[in-house]
Amino acid sequence: MASASSLAASLNPATPPDTVPRAELSEIDASTKWPVIFFLVSALVWLLVGTVFALISSFKLHTPEFLGSYEWLTFGRARTAHLNAVIYGWSTNAAFAVAFWLMARLSRARLRHAGVLLIAACFWNLGVTIGIIGILAGDSTSIEWLEMPAYATPLLFVAYALVGVWAVITFRFRKAEHVYVSQWYLLAALFWFPWLYSIAQIMLIFEPARGTVQALVNWWFAHNVLGLWFTPIGLAAAYYFIPKVLGKPIHSYYLSVLGFWSLAIFYNWAGVHHLIGGPVPAWVISAGIAASLMMIIPVVVTAINHHFTMVGSFGALRYSPTLRFVVFGAVNYTLVSLTGSAMAIRAVNEITHFTHFTVGHAHQGMYAFFTMVMFGAIYYILPRVLLKEWPSAGLIRTHFWCVAIGVTIYWVDLEIGGWIQGLQMNDPSIPFLEVVRNTIPWLFVRSLAGILMTIGHLAFTVNVLWMLGAKRPAGVTAPTLFRSPPALQAASVR
Amino acid sequence: MEWIFYTLAFLVALAISGSAVYALWWSSKNGQLRDFERGAVSIFDAEEPVGEMTDRFPAKRPKAG
Repeated sequence: MASASSLAASLNPATPPDTVPRAELSEIDASTKWPVIFFLVSALVWLLVGTVFALISSFKLHTPEFLGSYEWLTFGRARTAHLNAVIYGWSTNAAFAVAFWLMARLSRARLRHAGVLLIAACFWNLGVTIGIIGILAGDSTSIEWLEMPAYATPLLFVAYALVGVWAVITFRFRKAEHVYVSQWYLLAALFWFPWLYSIAQIMLIFEPARGTVQALVNWWFAHNVLGLWFTPIGLAAAYYFIPKVLGKPIHSYYLSVLGFWSLAIFYNWAGVHHLIGGPVPAWVISAGIAASLMMIIPVVVTAINHHFTMVGSFGALRYSPTLRFVVFGAVNYTLVSLTGSAMAIRAVNEITHFTHFTVGHAHQGMYAFFTMVMFGAIYYILPRVLLKEWPSAGLIRTHFWCVAIGVTIYWVDLEIGGWIQGLQMNDPSIPFLEVVRNTIPWLFVRSLAGILMTIGHLAFTVNVLWMLGAKRPAGVTAPTLFRSPPALQAASVR
Repeated sequence: MEWIFYTLAFLVALAISGSAVYALWWSSKNGQLRDFERGAVSIFDAEEPVGEMTDRFPAKRPKAG
């Protein structure tokens, strides 16, 4: 698992980087086994926990008396537990697993110091568990995206510091000559998140800033978690898996580099569009709106790259589970980002602010884009790490169609319902309670979509557990069993 | 007391921005921004060459061995 050189040698700046040998892909995959499994299984557990809280909070919106007599399951707590379970539990654990595997592969060196990552995984999951129990017990901080109580968050920070150290070591001892665009995204994400998280924790929880500065820091953090942590990890995965699965280089590598640097420049400014109409200096908001619209550059550039790489190879979607999920995610990245830029325009924001539109938008970003890309990545990574096939193609199809249809209904439903809600709220002749009542049918549909997604998650869970428990076929030493028949390969490349 | 944190936050922000500028400068000096063709194919090798699909649905009836 670990390499010959010790952690002390890796940390010593005097150690020459060429002490690490270049490794074969199958060797690298094998070296990532335990950290990847630990993080992925934790992610899966949190996905299920998050789904349960999602359903509870969704039902409560149209049937408020549902589980109404338990104070720890009131809407404010269940919805917050859902958010934290899926963001810090599912998404971040999955992001870590995918990031380690990709970093090791792209660095062309075996994963070293797996122990550091396993300790980080323990700290991270312990922190999330304590945090969510704290939220359910009523200790939420009430700051959106940072609801976990102050006694849980230092554990997360320790975990993250370990991950960061590991990433820097891995990058320094890389054996690949070229730093592929995915690696830029991964490294940047691993750098940016601790920055966002520590500054937000200090300025909001441990030594709260005064007045509206709190709101600014809050939305700077909450929006950047999406744009500077989850988006880069999702894009890193898409930039690797689409060309890798197709066996076809990315459409324009030049554009991918441009996309990365323009994201790095513009995204950090965009978060304040959440405060349009709020009591903060107008120039700050205008700067945020400008940055949100400038985000069209990296988004369009990425869209051109992902979609043009697919041109001529759409047939491959029928054969590759990974490609299906990742391409679905990439299409939604384009849609959700353009919607997001539009929502930052004041005239649009007047309608969508404080409505279900934002909820639909958030789920399109975190689920239809990020989570789908993570699912696709897991379908590629797990067989190579375990040297086993997925046990059931039927369960993969069930998973894909349930979540793809479910999340599409979800965001389309809430964006239409939210838009109508916004128009009605802006009309003073309609009483507020009537506006609330008019949202109920949309919320029912949302719950139905949620049930569909839950079925998909269950299919995924069964497949993963089945695979973990299954015996490895005799004689398999390298993950060559996923090559497609030659006829198909010829068809996939034009 | 507050100003300590604001100063700290500001310095960290400068350091992060500085690291981004350094990374861009390094990538230019290191030749990372040259020869994009080679960059694009850097994820392929003899083990998994260009032109070969590397993922498909598992066979309905996996053959033993």
